[in-house]
Amino acid sequence: MEVFLNWNFIQELILSTIRMATPILIVALAELYSERAGMVNIGLDGIMAFGALIGFLVSYSTGQPLLGVLAGAVGGIVINSVYAFCTIHLGAEQIVYGMAINIFAPAIASFLYKIKFGISSSLAQATLMQEMPIPVLSSIPVIGKLLFSHTPIIYLAYLLVPLSYVFFSKTKAGLNYKAVGEFPKAAETMGIPVVRTKYLACMICGALAGIGGAYLTTCYISTYSDGVVSGRGFIALSAVIFGRWMPGGVLLAALLFGFTDALQIRLQVLNSSTPYQLLAMIPYLCTLFVLAFFGIKKAGPAANGRPYFREER
Amino acid sequence: MEFLKMDGITKKFGNAYANKNIVLSVKEGEVHTLLGENGAGKSTLMNILIGLYQPTAGEINLRGEKVKIDTPAKAVKFGIGMVHQHFMLVEAMTVFENIILGTTKESSAFIKKEAMKKEIRELADKYGLNIELDKPITEISVGAQQRVEILKALYRGAELLILDEPTAALTDIEVIGLFQIIRKLTAEKKSVIFISHKMREVLEISDRITVLRAGETIKTLDKEQTTATELANLMIGRELVTSEYSKVIQSGENVLELDQVSFNSSSKHNGICNLSLNLYKGEVLGIAGVDGNGQSQLAQLVTGNLVPEHGTVVLKGDRVSNFVPKHFIDSNVSHIPEDRNKMGLIGNMTVKENLILKSTEKPTISYGKGGFIRKRAIKLFADQMKKKYDIRCASLDQEIRNLSGGNQQKVILARELEEVPEMLVAVHPTRGLDIGATKYVHDKIIDARDQGCGVLLISADFDEVLKLSDRIAVMFEGQILGIYSGQNPPIHEISLAMSGKESERSSSNEIK
Repeated sequence: MEVFLNWNFIQELILSTIRMATPILIVALAELYSERAGMVNIGLDGIMAFGALIGFLVSYSTGQPLLGVLAGAVGGIVINSVYAFCTIHLGAEQIVYGMAINIFAPAIASFLYKIKFGISSSLAQATLMQEMPIPVLSSIPVIGKLLFSHTPIIYLAYLLVPLSYVFFSKTKAGLNYKAVGEFPKAAETMGIPVVRTKYLACMICGALAGIGGAYLTTCYISTYSDGVVSGRGFIALSAVIFGRWMPGGVLLAALLFGFTDALQIRLQVLNSSTPYQLLAMIPYLCTLFVLAFFGIKKAGPAANGRPYFREER
Repeated sequence: MEFLKMDGITKKFGNAYANKNIVLSVKEGEVHTLLGENGAGKSTLMNILIGLYQPTAGEINLRGEKVKIDTPAKAVKFGIGMVHQHFMLVEAMTVFENIILGTTKESSAFIKKEAMKKEIRELADKYGLNIELDKPITEISVGAQQRVEILKALYRGAELLILDEPTAALTDIEVIGLFQIIRKLTAEKKSVIFISHKMREVLEISDRITVLRAGETIKTLDKEQTTATELANLMIGRELVTSEYSKVIQSGENVLELDQVSFNSSSKHNGICNLSLNLYKGEVLGIAGVDGNGQSQLAQLVTGNLVPEHGTVVLKGDRVSNFVPKHFIDSNVSHIPEDRNKMGLIGNMTVKENLILKSTEKPTISYGKGGFIRKRAIKLFADQMKKKYDIRCASLDQEIRNLSGGNQQKVILARELEEVPEMLVAVHPTRGLDIGATKYVHDKIIDARDQGCGVLLISADFDEVLKLSDRIAVMFEGQILGIYSGQNPPIHEISLAMSGKESERSSSNEIK
């Protein structure tokens, strides 16, 4: 018990929670923007894998992790535009195309990695992004170290939450955006460009999910390996449902998942006698549990997942 | 002065013409009615006008200038607003949010609530539109939702307001209120296109009337120079014979008996309380009553969709113990459900498939009791039904949701009445149908009765109940307040009973 109440342990746990929650938060926000415009995208895991690879490649060859993250965003947009075109323009089933992205994108990422580095047992190492303590704020005792001594991507992720809240709840553009996900035909008759909004939603989703993937290989671990995403995209998907399609809720959900992830790693270290596979299950069990209890009540956008055709009778 | 001129508008869906060379002109400050049966092309024409559909040919002129309306945003800019029959309101948002949705009046990115609300309130007061801005859409009445739609259009600076079947969902008092609003609008030099097929209303509110039939313009008339009969004849393209149905008095065999049946009896609006009722073979028993007094539950109980909590249901002499729809279907009970889109039809399946939904196990339809489908036989059967019931569709393989309401109802009739049932439960059988289709449905119901079918007719349309019923039962808060003869029914007493006053019942000519 003593180990748990140790201040160092708690501090490390909080820090780790914040870091672990970041990719889930960014990607959950990606899904939030997508679903608010009625686009259910279950291909987050695939987009993340692709973003992770592109981010790693650029970071490796330029030595600039920040450039890697930007490239990850671009990569995410490119991959997600396949989904966007097929589902918006051709009216294809969103779930099917999301699944297609999940199968196709990690495979192509793995393929590109092997072209560049060949098949070898040692993984290429890139430089990790440096932490960027915020002046003044980071020197506040306790909180400074916990909250204001992180990489820029972490600041970006957490800053996106209040910004998204303001966008969806206070601005006209946000109201129009939400209307597209609720009742596209009504939005169209009100002069809101439905198709354009849906494409925009896919761009935002691709960019953020790409950043979420690139975060893993530029800020979290310095290598790329297949399966680096390890289901985080799906956890993010459930964070949106758990968070009731609200930015604040999504933040709480991401923190919860981040916490379970951080906790299980520490438990692995402390309990070497317990098989680590059992402990590694905790975040996924937590997801299952949350979905079983909070996934029932329908609260999402009313036209979520449905294709839209203007001239449909 | 002429505000709008639509000239030679043609719209094709696939190979079918929805609009063919339509001409329509609307003057400033007038109420112009578009009159036509379901599927005459009214909605298509209006969807072209608001930029939702692109016409295949033809041009639109506004105040004498040719315009191209290729997006709804443009229609809004040109001052054209439409109140759709199925309201275009986002249910997850408030009244206020729905009104300001998509507006570009203010350059600010943020929603300036107070300033906008003030402006909306002034506008609402000007036209007598009484609404509560902060309520969610789901919490206001249908009439109020309609006022929100009108206000939405006016807030966007609409000069021409299109009202698509605005009275269909309103009570009589709400209709009076709507007409007052329309008069205020025209007094302000705004034009209104009014779409309806209720003759009385059309003649009351319109200045001019354009009749459409089968996608073509038939004639434009001044209200003063026409009559309801002329309009009806133009609309359906032949002389409309209003039928009077003979009434019969049956007292023989019961096809259905309910004894002290209760379901959810504590609810006044969605329950049934100790209800006893009998239905003879070969009669129409009409259930009159204001919507939401348990009629819907009654219909579902006697078709096996609900299980009663107390009491007995006897069908053709046997007490029912197994309340599943299949038992009732196998006992030859047919059901025309209250909402054809929710219960009667599967929208994404074809006309053909919907026609055989109930009879897939029949040897004429499939081999080995529902094993393999007999495609040729089904096609033949569907073709026959199409002819016999006059189902108008481009193809029998068309998805049924693309058919007009009247034609959808005909598909249900074909399915439910083709093999004459022993009992028919018909709930709001003509809701949303035009004159021609309504008469058709009525004829079919009476035909079934004359072949010995017991018909339980539930309708919120009192005139319909009076016209068809051999006996009339009045339902109020889940109970039957009285049963009256269908011949020379005491209308005043029935109306009283419908509002729950049963004091005069003892002296009524109740028959058993």
